[in-house]
Parts: sequence; C-alpha cells; structure tokens
Amino acid sequence: MNKFKQLLSGKPSEKLFLLGNEAIARGIIEAGVKTATTYPGTPSSEVGNVLYEIAKEAGIYFQYSINEKIATEVAFSSAISGLRSFVFMKHVGMNVAADPLMSIAYTGIRAGMVIMSADDPSMFSSQNEQDNRNYAEMAHIPLVEPSTSQEAKDFLKYAFEISEKELVPVLYRTTTRVSHQRGMVELGEIPQNKTKGYFPNEPGRYVALPVNSMGFKEKLVKKMERLKSVSETSPLNRIETYGSGKYGIITSGEAYNVLMDAVRKYRLDVSVLKLGFTNPLPESMITKFLNDHGDVIIVEELDPFLETKVRMMAQMHSLNTRIYGKIDGFFSMSHEYNPVTVAASLSKIIKFETEKLPVEIDISELPPRPPVLCPGCPHRATYYAVKRAVKMSNIKDPIYSSDIGCYSLGVYDPYDEADIMIEMGSSIGVGGGISKVTNQKVIAFIGDSTFFHSGLTGLANAVHNESNLLLMVLDNRTTAMTGQQPHPGIELNGMGEPAPALSIEAIAQSMGVKYIKTVDPYDLKSTLLAVSGALKNEGVSVVIARRECAILRDNEMRAKKTWKTYQVNTEKCGLCMNCVENFSCPAISIKGGVINIDQDICDGCGVCAETYVCPFRAIEEVQ
Amino acid sequence: MIKNVIIAGVGGQGVVTAGLLMSEAATENGINVVMSEIHGLAQRGGSVSVDVRMGDVYGSIVPKGGADIIIGFEPIETVRALSRAGRETLVIMNTEKKTPISLSMHDKEYPPMEQLLKIAPDGMVIHQIDAVSLAKEAGNYRSVNTVILGAALALGVLPFSRENAMSALKRRFSGGLYEVNARALDLGIEEIKGQRNIA
Repeated sequence: MNKFKQLLSGKPSEKLFLLGNEAIARGIIEAGVKTATTYPGTPSSEVGNVLYEIAKEAGIYFQYSINEKIATEVAFSSAISGLRSFVFMKHVGMNVAADPLMSIAYTGIRAGMVIMSADDPSMFSSQNEQDNRNYAEMAHIPLVEPSTSQEAKDFLKYAFEISEKELVPVLYRTTTRVSHQRGMVELGEIPQNKTKGYFPNEPGRYVALPVNSMGFKEKLVKKMERLKSVSETSPLNRIETYGSGKYGIITSGEAYNVLMDAVRKYRLDVSVLKLGFTNPLPESMITKFLNDHGDVIIVEELDPFLETKVRMMAQMHSLNTRIYGKIDGFFSMSHEYNPVTVAASLSKIIKFETEKLPVEIDISELPPRPPVLCPGCPHRATYYAVKRAVKMSNIKDPIYSSDIGCYSLGVYDPYDEADIMIEMGSSIGVGGGISKVTNQKVIAFIGDSTFFHSGLTGLANAVHNESNLLLMVLDNRTTAMTGQQPHPGIELNGMGEPAPALSIEAIAQSMGVKYIKTVDPYDLKSTLLAVSGALKNEGVSVVIARRECAILRDNEMRAKKTWKTYQVNTEKCGLCMNCVENFSCPAISIKGGVINIDQDICDGCGVCAETYVCPFRAIEEVQ
Repeated sequence: MIKNVIIAGVGGQGVVTAGLLMSEAATENGINVVMSEIHGLAQRGGSVSVDVRMGDVYGSIVPKGGADIIIGFEPIETVRALSRAGRETLVIMNTEKKTPISLSMHDKEYPPMEQLLKIAPDGMVIHQIDAVSLAKEAGNYRSVNTVILGAALALGVLPFSRENAMSALKRRFSGGLYEVNARALDLGIEEIKGQRNIA
C-alpha cells in the first residue's frame, strides 16, 4: 500500500513506521495547515514528496515555490489571511528566506505560521553546516527542536499553538538525523476546519515602514518576554533522572538521542534536561537545574547555542555550577555527534571507562566511490561537449563557474568543470564578476530549477553590466538532485495540476541576450557547434542543453517497453580509451584489455555510440 | 536487547528498501526500531548506507564497533563498512562487483577479492553470497535485497522470524512480485544454512 496515502487515511492511535519528514507531513495535516510551501532541499525534501501526493485530498494548498524567499512570502500571505501555513527548506534555504523572515517577525500574523529549517550537521549533502537556531535569536522568534519521528509530528502541532498564542512565526529546526530517521509514530486526530481565508484590511498592520516598524519591534520584544513563561511550563522541556542523577546534562534535538544511548549503555548517574522549546529558554527552570547540580554538561550539535545562554544565566544569577561544553573544548564545534564521540567527551567529565574499540580497520586503501552522474545523464554529454569545444576553440585557461544541483558532480575527474561553487545561483553572479576582472573565458553552468531559483537576477546583472560569459543552462526538465520535483519551467505545479511553463529562451531574450541556442545534449555534433559558436561570441551567450533527466526517461521507457542498451563490438574497437577516460559513463569499463558495457546499468542513451565519443563506431545497439 | 545492523551498498541497489523490510519485519514482532539513511548527493552510483537499530534504543546511528551484523551489497562497500565493525560483528557480503568509476576510468582492475578481504581482521567470518544469481533464480534481478535479507535472517541474530519477514514482504509487494520476493527470501535463508553446514 502507498504509505503516503496511509499518512492521510491513518486513524488516531494507529502506529506507522515513519521517516521524520513523513511524520512532519502528518503533523501538518493534524495541525490543520491549509497552505504549505517549499523549495526542495535535502534533508527537507520528503515533506514535499508526501504533500505532492496527498495535498489535494488533505485540503491543503501546496506550492513548489521558485525559491525559499517566495515560499516564505506565500506562506505568510496565508497566515495573515487567517489560515495556518507551513514553509519548509534546508538550512541554506533559510539564508534566501531571511529577508522576509526578519520583517514578518515584526508585523506578526493572524493564524499559525511555522518555518522549518532542516540543518545538515556533517554536510552529507550541503555546502556548509550552519546552525540555524541562530536565526530564531536574530529574528526574535520562538524555536522548537524535535528529537524523534514521534516528536517531529507532535511538536509541530505544539509549534502552531505557540505561534497562535502570540501571533508570531515559529522556527522549527530539525537536522539530517531527525528528518531522515525512521521510527514508530502514533497518529493523532485530523481536525475539520475552514478552507478559505479572509484578509481584513487593517491600515498599516502589515506595512513595515519605519514609522510602523518602530512599534513592531517593541511589540515583538514584549511577545518574546511573555513567551518566557510559556517555555517555563512547556511539556517540550522536561527533566529525566537516571540513577542518582548526580551530573546535570542539558541537551536538545538529535544530541539527546545520541546522549541517551551513552547514558543507558554506561548506566550514568545523570539528570537530563531535554529542551524542545529552545527560544525563549525556560530561564527559571534552567537556573534551578544549575542550582541543583554541581556540574552541568551541555550536549548540543554544531554551535554553542544553548551553552552560551546557560553560561550567561549562571553569571546573571551568580551561580557556581561548573559548566562543561564546546566553549571550553570538551565537545567538538564541528560535525554531527555520534555515540562514540559523545561517550568519549562525557567520560572526560564524569569519569567512566568507555569500551575500547575492539578492532581498528584501515580502509584508506579502498578505491573511493564518489557520487557520479547517472548512466544516461544528459549532463555527462553536455560536460563532454563543452570540454571538447573549449579544446577545439584553443582556450587554454577557461574558468568554470558551477552551481548547486546534480551537475555539481561535473567537478569530478575527468570533467573537472567546476572551479568555483558557492550557493544557488552563484555561477552567474560570480562568473559575471570574474569576467570583468580577468581576460579569461568564463563558462557558467546552472540547472533549470536553479535558473529560476536565483539565476534570473544573476543573468540580468551579467547582461546589464556587460559581462563576457557563456551560460550553459543544463535543463533536465526537473529538480533532479532532490528527487524530481517540478519547477516554473515545467507544465506541472505542486498540486500535480497543469501549469503554465516559463520559457528560458524567452527570458534570456527579453533580458537582452543575443546569442541563444537550444540543443539536445545527446546530439553531440550540434551541441559542440552551439558551444563553439558561443565561445567566439563576446558578451553574454546562453546555450540551453535540454534533455529530460535519465531517471524520468527510465520510468517512461520501462512503461512503454522501449528500453534498449549498447555493447562494444570488440572487433571494431581500437582501444583508444576515449569512451572510458573522457566520456566516463559508469556503465563503461575496461576489463582485461577489453572495453565492456555493463548491460545491467546501461541506460541506452547511445551518446557513447556517436563518432565524437567512439571514432571506430564500435559501440552498437544490442539487438 | 539491542540489535544493530549496518547495510551498505551502491545507490540503485535497493539498500534503503532492504532496511525498510528489516524494520517492518521487526516491528511486526513488536520490537521498537529506529533507522537512519544516508544517501547524500547521488541519485545513483554513490555509496549508500543505512543503519537499523532494533530494541531499547534512542539514537539511529550504530556506534563504531557496535554492529551486530554488517550487510554489504557490494564487496568494496562491505569492506568500507567494516571500519565500523567490532570483534563480534557478523558479515554478509553479496559478491556482485560494482566497479567504481575511480577504477574503471584509469584502467585499474577491481581489486581481487582476497586482497579486499585482507583488510578484514583475522578470524572475522565473512559470509559470501551470490545474491544476483539467487534473485534471478527467484524470478527477478531486483529482488537481490530480499535474498540478502533472507541470508541475514539465517544467521540467527535478527530479532524476528521468517514469518515476520514474510508478512513485511506481503505488505510491500502484491501478486507475482510477492511470490518472487517470498522465493528470494527463502533462497537467501537456504544459501546461508548450506554454508553453515559446510563449515
């Protein structure tokens, strides 16, 4: 059965084994949310994958917004029209959303609004590991942090209650291990409530002009003052005592889970103050906890967010409690915690014998397996063609400015076509800038979804400021890396309904780009010609390499039974190694001096069979 | 009772589904389960690993040295996961080789099995299984993960029965696909039982 449907049909007290993000999707339904928005980003994406399937039936309006800033604005518009809204994103998405966030905290809302940030300690799929709890403090908004799949659902409902109590948006912070953890979740009731909002016009209420904002800020500070008492009695903040409870530990989020494994394993005598409502902090509760313990350890991932405040409280209340944490070097400032490192840190303070690791196995000699472009990925053909065109054009020192998406994998050998990569949309902004200060040829890459996310403004900037730049738009007709979500270039919206698609060509043209070519990257000849032509061109050129994502095509080919594969005719093969060394499809390898195509993973794109890859025409379709 | 399992493989091999099947079989038996999946950037072809923890546990990360079973879908990935093994860890390895592009591109051969297995400490038993052949025998190449689940079950340390596993399969697959996977599970079980008799 489709688990996503179960998320809607599941009855109260029924238990399901859910991914944290799936539990959050159920939490949205149980909280009576009417508007949900996002730009897909791992580790938050699965919330959207669920909503894409069930939003209509659940009576929720769901939107894949163009970026996180717009997603936040759309969610806000619902919340000021009296309907609960939820906007979710990965941690770096919050940087994009920060602009509206700082001001909607000021104006406030009329119905509950929760903003989820899925942080990524250890950077499993991100460019940095920023601790977004800091945003709650900067914006003066409440902060809620769940630890388990069950809490991911239950705390969300609580977050909406807090939001409505003071009509302020709430930051809901998960991490990879909370969003991507599966556990049993007991379901709750699904409410029946209104589906249409109404925006009563109250002059000035949502207008952040200086004259109004002065008052907004004072009100906001007062709201947070009042929420202190809510935090003091919140069920999200609780003390658990183990053994004699001698040592105090303050913790939150995933760090609680990892800590508790050590507490149970080594039978530690600790009392644990588990915090789920972490801004504003329950100051009386914490100072009492500090008073009750001679030694208090702060166990939290990434920044010393709790630690800084707890140390401040100790100073304010003249307490002598010894506090241990990151600031004094007992715990790491970087990367996610794991049971071994947390136990090792604790043992330096509590003094217990951690288990010696029984074996030390050296795997440094193993061949690495970095992520690769899929077999049949159209981006591989584009990278191959661009590299050849650069060579053919006799350009010795090109600068490749890359962006965020599957095509970031163009950084790897043999393509080596990503010299700079900072954030969504940066390929055009940074590339355009470099072309102004060097005489080198700049080639920027951007995906279709990323182009809409934040490439538009970069392109406008590059054209207006007369940068000398070739922009390659790698248009695979989807947001591929996060799991095939639609975007404004696709004739489909987040509700699964037909939608007007925006033309990248028309956009580039309207911005004043003169050289615009659209090619099928599977057709290497025309791609080479288009790129070579663009490299001769001065100013901004745009080449759109359009071919749908191989995973999308696979599904279609399986359904239509038009699947085909390729093989090497060893009699014709001249062993030039071009297919292996330069095209580098994972399906092609050399074994015992013979080039082989793995039939189990060959995707049948046929690009390797073209003479530009195989001059001997030795790669043939399997009949 | 706590049972820690690490499942490692390559994107596209069904590693996450194997973790789900195992988790569902354990919950079928009334056991608490937490599972964590790490599949970073790549849709296909990169390293993928799943931690499944069963019993009275909080965190979803199997501690280094604390794995009861490591299930490898591919030899290099199995050995990579051994860095988290302990002295008591049982290992099952599918012998299907997936050459990383870091080798195939540079005309380097996939390391010989003996060389790979040398990385494992002396005395560690690694059960090898040709899950691909067994999956094909069961009727579908894609049921490799169910064969491997059966093999893990046959080692006798997982806290659920063949029947629990069958009902997990039944909930996930229907009709012919269920039949194929039920056969695949039993072929995995028989394979390991056979190996044990030899030993």
